[in-house]
Amino acid sequence: MKNSIIIITSVLLLLFSFLVFTGVSPFVKGYSKIKATVGETTGPLLKLVDLPVRYIKIFFNSYINLVGVKRENEELKKKIDQLELENQKLVELEKENTRLKSILNIMNKNPQKMVAANVIGEDLKNLFKCIIIDKGRDSGLKERMPVITPRGVVGQAVEIGRGHAKVLVLNDTNSSIDVYVEGKNTRGIAEGTGGSKLKLKYILKNDDLALGDKLITSGKDGIFPKGLPVGMVVEIDRKKPGIFAEVDVMPFNNYKRVDEVLIIKRQ
Amino acid sequence: MKIGIFIISGICLLLLESSVLSWFSIELFKPDFSIPFILYMSLFMEPLQGLLGAFFLGLFQEGVSGSPHGSIIFTKLSVFLLAMFIKGKVYIDSKFYFSYICGCFSLFESTLYLFLFFLSKGETGNALNILFYAIPNGVFTGFFSIFIFSLLTYMNSKILLKG
Repeated sequence: MKNSIIIITSVLLLLFSFLVFTGVSPFVKGYSKIKATVGETTGPLLKLVDLPVRYIKIFFNSYINLVGVKRENEELKKKIDQLELENQKLVELEKENTRLKSILNIMNKNPQKMVAANVIGEDLKNLFKCIIIDKGRDSGLKERMPVITPRGVVGQAVEIGRGHAKVLVLNDTNSSIDVYVEGKNTRGIAEGTGGSKLKLKYILKNDDLALGDKLITSGKDGIFPKGLPVGMVVEIDRKKPGIFAEVDVMPFNNYKRVDEVLIIKRQ
Repeated sequence: MKIGIFIISGICLLLLESSVLSWFSIELFKPDFSIPFILYMSLFMEPLQGLLGAFFLGLFQEGVSGSPHGSIIFTKLSVFLLAMFIKGKVYIDSKFYFSYICGCFSLFESTLYLFLFFLSKGETGNALNILFYAIPNGVFTGFFSIFIFSLLTYMNSKILLKG
């Protein structure tokens, strides 16, 4: 009898979670309240766990550096020969420097519109791509705020707790951004694939696009401001059937290696 | 009391996993530590404890995931219900057999995700991802379950019974 009650309860809960998943309004509202309550404890706990992990990371990196010093010394000698070749890249670096400075200038001019945050966690499921940062409602964060680094766009804030927030990264299948090809009139939608690359959708086969082209946000999706770097075109297939080309884009940010991010506060 | 300690242990392990994952660049496999916890609580403890474990671990896991609302709780409760169905029908005589069952349940969970995405939204975008990660996730969930089973058995027999 007792077991039957538990089975019936779990079936009802199963039904409830399914209705939440399908977006039935009253159930979603109720569930959001429960989740928000649980979420308030998640952030501080994650920060607490992240502290020792961060110290272990620093210790581990220092140890690796020490072991690698001798080998690094030999490698450095070889690198001297390569330096002359690297000089050729200076022009390219200068351009990048200008671009980065412009982003930093944005922050310096509008410090009240930017919030810096540390990444303290990552999605437990590899079916979804999200990171958790240590700033939330208390720092003025709201949903759909753009999250960037000086290299470019990381994603957007999707769920905000009091002291933490979830960021949906570009690579997630639910993510899409309206983008322009820098210096050209070509426009498309960069969609996450769940893998390391993005797909650039709605690019006509005769559109002006080449390998190595940089994509920047268009500012027309109402979330990301115009001109933020997104990624670089790495593959174009114009042979596939249909009117659109298949374009692969490598995002400038590898979200797996991002430690600090900036959140642009909406005006 | 007992169930509280089990759930808190599971949550601590999930928190550690989330924090460590942001350091290590692991993408191919992410073991689901909640599955061995839920299965252990469902198969070796009272059904109510299994249900509470499935609900709270699912709720917490959803708190640190970008998954759609309700999806993780749905899969965790389904895991609990299937565990209740096989309870008494399978004889788990070693931690290795338990790990094998955990791996199978991880695959079952991936199948449920596929079912959810096809049934409710009709979106196929994430289906390839789910198929791609299903087997590595199952293998590594099974592998880590060996250690979790030992930990939970130790907790169950030595610490909690004495208390």
